[in-house]
Amino acid sequence: MTDDLLATGDRIALRFPARGDLIVLARLVTSAVSARAGFDIEELEDLRLAVGELCLLTLQGSDARTGDLCLELTVLGDALGAECILERAAPADVVGPENAESARLSEQILGALVDEHGRESQNGSVRAWLRKRPAGHAE
Amino acid sequence: MDQEFHIEERASTSPPVIAVCGEIDVATAPQLRECLHRVIAHGEATVVLDLLGVTFLDSTALGVLVGALKRCRELGGDLHVVVADPRIVKIFEITGLTNVFTIADSLQAAGAS
Repeated sequence: MTDDLLATGDRIALRFPARGDLIVLARLVTSAVSARAGFDIEELEDLRLAVGELCLLTLQGSDARTGDLCLELTVLGDALGAECILERAAPADVVGPENAESARLSEQILGALVDEHGRESQNGSVRAWLRKRPAGHAE
Repeated sequence: MDQEFHIEERASTSPPVIAVCGEIDVATAPQLRECLHRVIAHGEATVVLDLLGVTFLDSTALGVLVGALKRCRELGGDLHVVVADPRIVKIFEITGLTNVFTIADSLQAAGAS
């Protein structure tokens, strides 16, 4: 099992059409990477949920029908980092109240499950990121 | 392997029960929204949502539940959520929704008969 562990600096990247129904791919990859980065089963579940929310937050407010979502997971010295980027994102035509509520809930979930997270948009691109340390590495 | 997403309406019970299995996420939540809207629009102010078979839910799913709860309460009813899996309960807890929804750990406790 130890041989399966990822090393500091290892990166796993996933690129897929920015469709909500494909976010399951990001969750699957996150589970596999988290297990190989030394996280326990509860933390793995937290990361799976958190990265799904990160993808949703990246898509929030964007019309992503023509773009790709790029997820990169990086094994850091004391944490797992995830970065999600949507390039050439056009603003969505309509952002309904339910979407706004979901975005608020995404922020709450990320705030509770990971150590750091953020979202920024610039020049038509949206970038969201998170970092989570395994138990015992909390600052 | 996760259970496939599935919704079952039990309209013969009082209050009606909507049972969901599998993962409720941005891809499947619209089906749940449509089902809840249909049942509530049919005149049911109180609905029991059985999530005992749910293995995952995200913020999109929670948004659908909050929307349905508002509709139920506007009609003088409520949305009872049945959930027992600690992973699912945790999602309600960290979003503060345990203080918003009436949550039970069994159908009996939710008043479904």
